[in-house]
Amino acid sequence: MLLIHRSPRAANAVRTVSPGGELFVASVVICMILASFGDAVDPALFGEAGLEFALFDLGGEFSVLAMRHWHLLQLLLAGGILAAGIAVLRVGAPAAFKVLRPAPCRAIDKVPI
Amino acid sequence: MELEFFSAAFLSALFAIVLIDLVLAGDNALIIGLVARNLPKGQQRKVIFWGTFGAIAVRAAMAILVVYILNVPGFMLAGGIALVWIARKLLTPDPDAAAQHAAQAPAVSFAAALRTIVVADAIMGVDNVLAIGGAASGSIVLIVLGLAISVPIIVWGSHLVITLVDRYPSVILLGGAVLAWTGYSMVVREPLLAPWFEGHAATRLVIAILVFSISLAPWYSARLSARMKPLIVLLPALLIWMLAFDVAASHWKLQVDYLLAAESGEYLLEGLRWLGWLPLAAAFLWLHEQIMARSRRSARA
Repeated sequence: MLLIHRSPRAANAVRTVSPGGELFVASVVICMILASFGDAVDPALFGEAGLEFALFDLGGEFSVLAMRHWHLLQLLLAGGILAAGIAVLRVGAPAAFKVLRPAPCRAIDKVPI
Repeated sequence: MELEFFSAAFLSALFAIVLIDLVLAGDNALIIGLVARNLPKGQQRKVIFWGTFGAIAVRAAMAILVVYILNVPGFMLAGGIALVWIARKLLTPDPDAAAQHAAQAPAVSFAAALRTIVVADAIMGVDNVLAIGGAASGSIVLIVLGLAISVPIIVWGSHLVITLVDRYPSVILLGGAVLAWTGYSMVVREPLLAPWFEGHAATRLVIAILVFSISLAPWYSARLSARMKPLIVLLPALLIWMLAFDVAASHWKLQVDYLLAAESGEYLLEGLRWLGWLPLAAAFLWLHEQIMARSRRSARA
């Protein structure tokens, strides 16, 4: 710990970290918490609760339950995919919303309706 | 417990050990360099050799010790809590760190230099060995591998490590997260608590969030505005409050689940559990505001 604190950039890693690196580590931490949620929930409860309850929660708890007892490498991979997804959304979403925004009334390419 | 070679569990533990070695090993190289610097030229090479030898010997002895210590009931929990503190310390910004370390007390003789190196290694290697012991999940092969990886870092790798973390500070954040994850898994693997966790599986999630909220606090606090800073204390305190009720309920056989409550006392207890923290949080926020206002006034004065 002393060694890495010799570097001013490393000693202030929370401030000097790149946005991409921070997004990746944050995604890994989210996956770790989700995995611990998977560990905390007993899958037998879902069987007792009935099929209709299970169907409602298909997209939520079931995806987290699949993360039960995940190892670090799996969490890192999932974190990387999550970070890549968020990064794509961050770039792609504004572009998608830009298309939906109406052009100004006096714009040259405005189609008169 | 021995893990199967090249299984996902084995490779994951090995990766965690490499990352822990990257962020925690290497202090010895720094100390050896600092101590040797103050000696005459003729003795420097000898001190570096014997200092490195001593550092490796002390680390090996501690690694063997930690395998046995972690099997003693209670030590897994203590080790997990220590790892949370180490992760927090790793992520806490330290602008004066370089200046402090440069001011190490100079050693004047060969014996004094060697003693300084060995004592410093024994103190500073504890975190590394403990983290490796926790990540290895009791596997002797992984502990030996962890030791084998940390030795080259002690001897030659300090420059490489410092270049890596300087270029990619996110390695330190990832190291902090892995330390917190290792700390959490050590706490939930504690033999004394295992029967309790069997009956209270949901508390694992509370403990995971508690561990991450304490150990990663320096990171997320750097992103919070001044008004939101009290969250750093409030979030872990609220989780501890909820956890304390669960512990009390199982210890004194109290009923804290409102669905199963039957008497007015049990309803009161349930109300205290869910609402009792509100006045305490309000008092903390008021006190925090007063202290902030006073420091602003004194800064203006």
